[in-house]
Amino acid sequence: MMLAALLIAAQIAAQDPRFERLDPETRSLVVTVVDSARAVGLPSEPLIQRALEGATKGAPGARIVAAVRRLATDLGTARTALGTRASAPELEAGVAALRAGATPQLLTQLRDVRRPPLTMALSVLADLVASGVPTDSAAAAVLALAPKARDADLVEFRRAVERDIALGAPPGAAAAVRALNTGVRDAISSPGPGQPPRRPPSRP
Amino acid sequence: MFEQEDDIVERMIRQLRRPMSIDPGLDARVMREIAHDTQPPAPGRRPLLRAWPWLAAAAVLGAVVIAWPWLRGSDANPDAFQFVLVAPQASSVSLVGDFNDWDPARSPMQTAHGVWATVVPLAPGRYRYAFLVNGVEWRADPGAPAARDDEFGTPSSVVTVGGKGS
Repeated sequence: MMLAALLIAAQIAAQDPRFERLDPETRSLVVTVVDSARAVGLPSEPLIQRALEGATKGAPGARIVAAVRRLATDLGTARTALGTRASAPELEAGVAALRAGATPQLLTQLRDVRRPPLTMALSVLADLVASGVPTDSAAAAVLALAPKARDADLVEFRRAVERDIALGAPPGAAAAVRALNTGVRDAISSPGPGQPPRRPPSRP
Repeated sequence: MFEQEDDIVERMIRQLRRPMSIDPGLDARVMREIAHDTQPPAPGRRPLLRAWPWLAAAAVLGAVVIAWPWLRGSDANPDAFQFVLVAPQASSVSLVGDFNDWDPARSPMQTAHGVWATVVPLAPGRYRYAFLVNGVEWRADPGAPAARDDEFGTPSSVVTVGGKGS
């Protein structure tokens, strides 16, 4: 039964016309990784997209395969930390947070304090670190905001920190001060029952 | 052979023509049953009324199935996102990323005085993307967070789309 499922998955993967953008050797190795990931319940689309990114950017096959393998491993780590109910976007954002320096324990903590989806909280954590905020400071700020802040609040928080950094503020201090302000503002102005939720941002 | 078959047929015909004794009350009973079945059913026995709880349950189930995406908050529905790159010297710019299979032909950007823009529908999730300028030069989005885990030696950016109501 399991073997049949694997064979069917392999056929489906091999038939995906997008794989034709990879050279035969790379395609074979990538399909193997994708099939293995799918067999253990990991999302395959992020792996395919990573391979396509490498192909479009003209990366050597070995580098594409290594990137896809590494992503599959990290998706597995993220799922262990976030639980089997985590969605594909949450797992992808979890990988970004892990690669930014967050520990699996931090991901689990976030899962425990915030209602799903966790995609935005995990992404903001990763993006803050990418902006220069030390991982510990970014983690503390996001963990403090996570229980109550909406996705839009988290995005606005990230933008505010980035603005402060651009104006010369030390990244860690910017994150701490903005987190404090965001938390206070949310406590004052969080919409009550029956009020419409704020819209998500329309620009990255 | 034919004479033997004729004999069998003759005997069957004789059997069928024998008079039969029929219960004299049969006609009356048949007519009484017919008259009973054509009368309207008693209120408590109408089939439609007996079935109404099932019909109502089916209607509710159907409504829930149809309205499920709205009841869930339409998280899977994409929002339109605008991507912009200021590149006055460029002759072509394409947006490529996880949302279009990294295919430069899928999202060519339009320009007005060197400001290149395009709109892409995005479902909730985290996406990596980049701009391909003049078909050869990769550029990250200066207005978006950078992708730290760039394994292919060219810059990329990330955009995260949150779910509604979260």
